[in-house]
Amino acid sequence: MSSGYKPDILWSPHHADRYVICDTELSLYRIGPAGSSETKAGALPLSEETAATLLAINSDTPYMKCVAWYPKQEPECLLAVGQANGRVVLTSLGQSHNSKCKELVGKEFVPKHARQCNTLAWNPVDSNWLAAGLDKHRADFSVLIWDISSKFSPEAVPAEKVRLSGDVDSGLVVTKPLYELGQNDACLSLCWLPRDHQKLLLAGMHRNLAIFDLRNTSQKTFVNTKAIQGVTVDPHFQDRVASFFEGQVAIWDLRKFEKPVFTLTEQPKPLTKVAWCPTRMGLLATLTRDSNIIRLYDMQHTPMPFGDEVEPTIIERSVQPCSESIISSFAWHPSAQNRMVVVSPNRVMNDFTVFERISLAWSSTTALMWACGRHLYECTEDAGQGVAAAEKDIATKMRERAQSHYGHDTVQVWRNHVLAGGDDPQLRSLWYTLHYILHCSAAALQETIGPFKAYSVKVILECTTETRRCWSGSDRQTDVPWYHSEERSLALQLCGWISRGPDIDVEPFLKSLEQEGEWERAAAVALFNLDIRRAIQILNKGASAEKGDLNLNVVAMALSGYTDEKNSLWREMCSSLRLQLKKPYLCVMFAFLTSEPGAYDAVLYESRVAVRDRVAFACMFLNDAQLPRYIDKLANEMKEAGNLEGILLTGLTKDGVDLMESYVDQTGDVQTASFCMLKGSPGEVLKDPRVQCWIENYRNLLDAWRFWHKRAEFDIHRSKLDSSSKPLAQVFVSCNFCGKSISYSCSAMPHQGRGFSQYGVSGSPTKSKVTSCPGCRKPLPRCALCLMNMGTPVSSCPGTGKADEKADLTRDKKLAQFNNWFTWCHNCRHGGHAGHMLSWFRDHSECPVSACTCKCMQLDTTGNLVPSDSV
Amino acid sequence: MELHILEHSLKVASIAKEGIQICTHGLIKLAFLPSKTRCKFFSLTETPEDYTIIVDEDGFKELPESEYLSVAEATWLALNVVSGGGNATSSQPIGVTKIAKSVIAPLADHNISVFMLSTYQTDFILVRERDLPMVMHTLSSEFTLLRVVNGEAVAANSTGVTNGFVKPKLGNHLPRPIIHPLSSPSNMFCVTSLDPDTLPSVATLLMDVMFYSGGAKETGGQSEDSGHIRFFSFSLIEGYISLVMDEQTTRRFPNNVLFTSASGELWKMVRIGGQPLGFDECGIVAQISEPLATADIPAYYISTFKFDHALVPEENIQSVIGALRTNESTGQ
Repeated sequence: MSSGYKPDILWSPHHADRYVICDTELSLYRIGPAGSSETKAGALPLSEETAATLLAINSDTPYMKCVAWYPKQEPECLLAVGQANGRVVLTSLGQSHNSKCKELVGKEFVPKHARQCNTLAWNPVDSNWLAAGLDKHRADFSVLIWDISSKFSPEAVPAEKVRLSGDVDSGLVVTKPLYELGQNDACLSLCWLPRDHQKLLLAGMHRNLAIFDLRNTSQKTFVNTKAIQGVTVDPHFQDRVASFFEGQVAIWDLRKFEKPVFTLTEQPKPLTKVAWCPTRMGLLATLTRDSNIIRLYDMQHTPMPFGDEVEPTIIERSVQPCSESIISSFAWHPSAQNRMVVVSPNRVMNDFTVFERISLAWSSTTALMWACGRHLYECTEDAGQGVAAAEKDIATKMRERAQSHYGHDTVQVWRNHVLAGGDDPQLRSLWYTLHYILHCSAAALQETIGPFKAYSVKVILECTTETRRCWSGSDRQTDVPWYHSEERSLALQLCGWISRGPDIDVEPFLKSLEQEGEWERAAAVALFNLDIRRAIQILNKGASAEKGDLNLNVVAMALSGYTDEKNSLWREMCSSLRLQLKKPYLCVMFAFLTSEPGAYDAVLYESRVAVRDRVAFACMFLNDAQLPRYIDKLANEMKEAGNLEGILLTGLTKDGVDLMESYVDQTGDVQTASFCMLKGSPGEVLKDPRVQCWIENYRNLLDAWRFWHKRAEFDIHRSKLDSSSKPLAQVFVSCNFCGKSISYSCSAMPHQGRGFSQYGVSGSPTKSKVTSCPGCRKPLPRCALCLMNMGTPVSSCPGTGKADEKADLTRDKKLAQFNNWFTWCHNCRHGGHAGHMLSWFRDHSECPVSACTCKCMQLDTTGNLVPSDSV
Repeated sequence: MELHILEHSLKVASIAKEGIQICTHGLIKLAFLPSKTRCKFFSLTETPEDYTIIVDEDGFKELPESEYLSVAEATWLALNVVSGGGNATSSQPIGVTKIAKSVIAPLADHNISVFMLSTYQTDFILVRERDLPMVMHTLSSEFTLLRVVNGEAVAANSTGVTNGFVKPKLGNHLPRPIIHPLSSPSNMFCVTSLDPDTLPSVATLLMDVMFYSGGAKETGGQSEDSGHIRFFSFSLIEGYISLVMDEQTTRRFPNNVLFTSASGELWKMVRIGGQPLGFDECGIVAQISEPLATADIPAYYISTFKFDHALVPEENIQSVIGALRTNESTGQ
């Protein structure tokens, strides 16, 4: 039974820079910036920035058990102190000159029977009322509500009976409380309810919480619980109350008071203080005995009101405001966000701010948002013109590409890279590869060779036969082995070096490269085809072209000096100086010329050279043993790097999906992945869950961007290429009379011979007039606007102008189909032709049926959103 | 109204005056060092005859076995009336008077012996554990019965057991005759309490009052004859301290330590019994409390091993004596 009082801390309700520490006496402190002139003398450092100055000490009130600060502005610094003998004394700190305060200071409120005062609470509205919670007495009430403005009334206590109470003389003793509550019980904690200032929540010894209404004290709501200490109302959510018992905190909802909404994880040691943060919603701080940490419970994400089954999620954190020292008590700052002062048993104080959790969210466009405390930060992409395309966020790129119909060109597949912006070498390579693959497989289909969709260099190259070729355009005959087979030439076709046919003729390819000004590449390709003269010619042409590089002439000169003498000066100089060449293709040309036959690593592993050129080179100069090894190695390299050029090697096989996976992992470009896999992929690959995931994500992205038309186009595109993805009819119109689907009953009767669309209306407006249910022959409902039975085509109605029809026939026909559709409001069940409804709601907000006030269109949440793409 | 059946299993014991020194170690521990024991219920009452100890099983282990220590054979359970969810204020009378008609009289009618202990905070009605089913049956009509288990009150249901005295005579209208002789000592008493935090500061004084009254008694031997009685009670129950002492003793305490009522009320004692009362006779408490309840006089009631003691406000003592004497005469 220790008599050592542990200091508690109390923040002034109105002066954000003042607080009181109470243990055996009351000490008023002012908090200010450390090092400033006014706080210098005798200031106690609280943190790196702040220090506290002692303003006043009050030791007039011994046996202090609890303290409460007067909640109103004036008089400031008025405190109520509850004592061990149950008396409540009003006192003040450093306000001796305040006359208003003077009347009140020293006033005592004495219960009939002495016992400990456990808790005090000022009424937040009627600030004259002070509730005191006392221990149990057999004949007295445990909660006394005092009116601090009441005067001493001598008739309340007969003078001759006042024997043991001391200072009655001053006229400052009040013995008649305004209200008395809770007989035969102790009150351990209490609080006024902010929702109704006449109501008081009490926690009693007999393990119950009770709500009293002062207007009718005989009635009370109460609940049995062990958690009866420290009841406190959430300042931000006035129906939420926390109370505790030993190590456990219970959170109550006053609207559903039968049991706690939830209890927090039990602490091994008993709790000493529980306090809601006044500056942040749903943040509860708890402190246990002899602990140096404060536990924080964040109930931000708790759904309100609480469901019965849902266990709310609470984020638990702990903070350690002063590294080792035990915390005796803490108090939240009334206004500074998440700030508190903690005090240790030996009155060492610490100013501390709980760091706010950061929450972060990506938008489906490029923006990134994060929130910390009351600040919201947005990080958006610089939309200025100066931003290089390569630096743009992938979401921006995908949006732009979606707008430019990227991926939709199924005829000239390579053109998709132009639609994508034409500035990404990987995409360029990818779409060319796909173009060649599709081209080859289409040709193969014509010649009925077999299913060639899985075309890839890796698959093709299995067996080859050797032939040799001689240098052309050079006088010297060399014996560079040059391999040829049907498969190898097919591979060369995929690489784009040669076109279909039995001849190995790279001339068209060289011409196209010349046209595009890729002189070095053209020269290298010519050289690899052992036509050194053509290579020199290309270089000369390049040098003389507009904006040509004159250095190319120098390279041509060097090239013309080629000799196959093993130890010549030319060879020696070329092999060392070529490394200084900046252009990769020039570099590999000399590497090729100076290499021993069969040892072309300098060419094959020059990563700056396009994969297709290296693969084509390999197909020509590596033997049957080296080639598959090289191709395997390169394919794995590409797969790991997620380089789309590698699709040439893998094709759209399972390997291709692996490669695409690492590409998507790096870039997030699900758009390219979706289109690519749809393009050339055989059925099994499309069924790969990864591919389905990319496609679904791309569709979701389009939806999130409100690119609904693009989404629809994509779905159409997808169903063309992958018939299994075609959605089944999900909406049927059922007949009011027989309950059968009108489209279903139609398809069940083929002899009817009339084509219904999946929404039950004829596809062609002119041909059919199905105005009755095909099942029971009862008429279909009428359109609320034209009053015709549904099934009657709209075009025959006077609403549609003829002029529009002529303007764009195909477009209008499509629209006309839609105009015939059934639509109805799910709320009022009125409806009619879609076209009529659309035009009605363009000008009206209420349902067209008279006397129906349903605001049908506004009930449709997506109806108010405008698609952000164009048709 | 709620009737809580507390979870303490209590023993009632008597320590002879001359044997008190062998028990002091345990008693001091129980009274002043509650953190050293698991005892939750401890009461010590000194009368001229002996010391009566009421203590729970955990506390009982602290007492030595001795020839001076006699223990009532039964295990007792404490009942406590709580005004619970119902009406807050209506009846002014306090203490035993308040529960006389609702608890004490019905139990007496059903021949259930009770042992009373009033404290500053509340009244405990002790009944034998074996009588509990009967108690519950008797009181279930008037009270919501709650049994305290591990600190939480749970509803307890009457098992419908009766002890044969099914419907007793309607004693309510007939005044219960008073059987035992009454006496009223001249000294006045205070019922008070103190802040547990200040207990260490007055511990030596309390020890002196508790255990060393013997010397004072010798000098006051004559004064007892002249109507003074040596009576002191200390209890520490669930953390709450309650004290009953005579007015002279209170003067030995420093100012502001003892809790006092604003009116400074004082009490006079009515002592019941000429011969030791024993534990089996029932209706003694009812005999005293019923007339007081009728007269609306508040009272404390403390049973000890040998006799019973009722405390009534000093200004009411004459009317109390009068009321009880009337019953006495009608009884005879």
